[in-house]
Amino acid sequence: MITLTNLSKIFRTELIETHALRDVTLQVNEGEFAALTGPSGSGKSTLLNILGTLESFDSGDYLLDGKSIKGLSDAALSQLRNEKIGFIFQSFNLIKDFSIYDNIELPLRYRGLKAAERKQRIEQALELVGLHARRDYLPAQLSGGQQQRVAIARAIAGRPRILLADEPTGNLDSLMARQVMELLEQINQQGCTILMVTHDPDQARRAGRNIQIIDGQLHDSTMYEPLATQSA
Amino acid sequence: MEQFIYYLKVSLLSIKRAPLPYALTVFILSVGLGVFFANATFYYQLNSDPLPGKSDKLFFPMTLTPYDCNDCRPPRILSYSNVQKLAASDIPSAQAAMYSSDGYARLTIDQPPTPVVIRITQRDFFQMFDVPLLHGSVWPDDNGHHQVILSRPMALKLFGRTAVVGESLLLDDRNFRIIGVLDEWQMLPRLYDANGRNHLTANEDIFLPLETGYDLNYLSKTNSQTFDDTDYRQLATEGRVGALHQLQYWVQLDTAAQQEDYQQYMQSLAEDEKAAGRHPAPINNQLVPMLGIVDYFGDDPGDIKAFALVTLLFLVVCLFNASHLALNRYLSNQYEFSLRRALGASRSQLQLQMLADVLLMTVFSLLGALFIGYAGVSLMNALLPQNSLFSTWDLTLITALILAAFTCSYLVTLYPSLRASFGSLNQQLKE
Ligand SMILES: Nc1ncnc2c1ncn2[C@@H]1O[C@H](COP(=O)(O)OP(=O)(O)O)[C@@H](O)[C@H]1O
Ligand SMILES: [Mg+2]
Repeated sequence: MITLTNLSKIFRTELIETHALRDVTLQVNEGEFAALTGPSGSGKSTLLNILGTLESFDSGDYLLDGKSIKGLSDAALSQLRNEKIGFIFQSFNLIKDFSIYDNIELPLRYRGLKAAERKQRIEQALELVGLHARRDYLPAQLSGGQQQRVAIARAIAGRPRILLADEPTGNLDSLMARQVMELLEQINQQGCTILMVTHDPDQARRAGRNIQIIDGQLHDSTMYEPLATQSA
Repeated sequence: MEQFIYYLKVSLLSIKRAPLPYALTVFILSVGLGVFFANATFYYQLNSDPLPGKSDKLFFPMTLTPYDCNDCRPPRILSYSNVQKLAASDIPSAQAAMYSSDGYARLTIDQPPTPVVIRITQRDFFQMFDVPLLHGSVWPDDNGHHQVILSRPMALKLFGRTAVVGESLLLDDRNFRIIGVLDEWQMLPRLYDANGRNHLTANEDIFLPLETGYDLNYLSKTNSQTFDDTDYRQLATEGRVGALHQLQYWVQLDTAAQQEDYQQYMQSLAEDEKAAGRHPAPINNQLVPMLGIVDYFGDDPGDIKAFALVTLLFLVVCLFNASHLALNRYLSNQYEFSLRRALGASRSQLQLQMLADVLLMTVFSLLGALFIGYAGVSLMNALLPQNSLFSTWDLTLITALILAAFTCSYLVTLYPSLRASFGSLNQQLKE
């Protein structure tokens, strides 16, 4: 469902050019659970942000469900992001003065869903992450692990087909990290494609596929069909 | 709609997050707008058309220059005999000569006298300048009559009531019958009195027929000129024949044809006078329209204009400051923009959020500005009482002020929020 061909990304500042990604070619199929590993600064977050259409790229192409995202308008990209993609961040990124419920509601608001539909989806997501009783709490009243589960609930409330997680357990202790991993696996089993950046070799092993990035270049340990044989 | 209420709620929440910087932003904006409002009030009233629909039909004819000069204007005040020459024309639909003087009024000789300003004029004056009569009528003709017309406040002051037609009063201890009382009336700016800054002052208290004013030796209290050494304090005997210039003269010319005819009439008149040796200067006739009169005589209050400019600059400075504060506020919330983008908000959705911010900012700064503007107007009235005539707020002005507040709030919010929403998206979310 995701196809990257010779994709490159260069960050330019006044002083330097950083080649964050060089000639990345990658194919991710529906339902995969892939771990992205690599040293710090190797381009993992950049890759994830490009996959999430939060960041543009300089050359190459990105096909999502067979369609290039090049040249799509802001509104189209936003809609695509809203409907197909869920984000989870290392630092949770919950809005501090919104209740748990209101935080999860955000992406549904932007989709323009009716109140009843929103409510039903939020409750379902809360149920899944096991925080139904805390729906009116503020984020600060929850533990880190619980906050990350709220963030997961927010990411999946819109029923995306792809979940992009950037070191989701980076700020958590091992017990909470395991709970979050189990949750992600459960979500993956329901059919959601997951790409997760991680530093934890155990987690990487538990994922079905391990993609390594070093210095902006991909070293995929898993077999996939070379693009040359695919129809364009 | 439901969605917009949600945006408003989000705006309020983000204000609650850091109320102090927000209050400061609103305060700065309120001060800038308030000072601007206070001044705009004066400026607006000063430049408004006092007789919409009619002002373009009223003209101030300038002709008959009794002195020798090159390239100079005819005098802005006329002698009695020159007014007679102009008044001989029947081209204008209405015409009136006028001047103002001071006096004292009372009802009986044992009362303390009240100082009054007298407008000494002719009957067409009331019709030309749409002066509303509450009781009675104006003089039957332009002859002398011991009859006066009172302004409403003067009637109330002297009698305690307005229905006083038929009563008498003493004006400089001479007996006059009251034949009319005006309704509430304040022409602003009072352009018929094109003399220095008279157009910024209040209307007169008592109206006296022109002939009676001359008979009783009332001299102009503002502007008069003589071109010989006659003693014009004897107005009754000398004023009508000699070269005492003290009359302002207005004509009503309804159509372009009338105006052209009148120009022609002034030309013939000036040529006749020249032939008779009474017009040594080159002919330089002017038919000045009422709305142009202040500019024409250069009586434009330059200080008010300069002050308007200063308050406008002050507003701009306030805008910069408020915008700077708002930028800090948005930058500290920037991760939230990025987050909303990541969750699928389009730029136009973020801009709706921004519009909610603008509306709230408008409401708050407008309230502050109205308060400060009101205080500013009150202060100016206390310092410059003659300006108090110009401190009323009407619907047009209020609407303009609301628009100004919205525009300023928009400007203050626009740049910061655009910078925040178009900034690098992912940067804030990474760590
Ligand atoms: N917005 C940016 N501007 C400039 N350089 C950037 C930006 N984002 C990332 N980089 C650079 O790109 C490289 C890859 O960064 P990143 O994708 O965050 O790495 P990782 O997530 O693997 O640690 C780094 O050298 C980083 O400094
Ligand atoms: Mg990273």
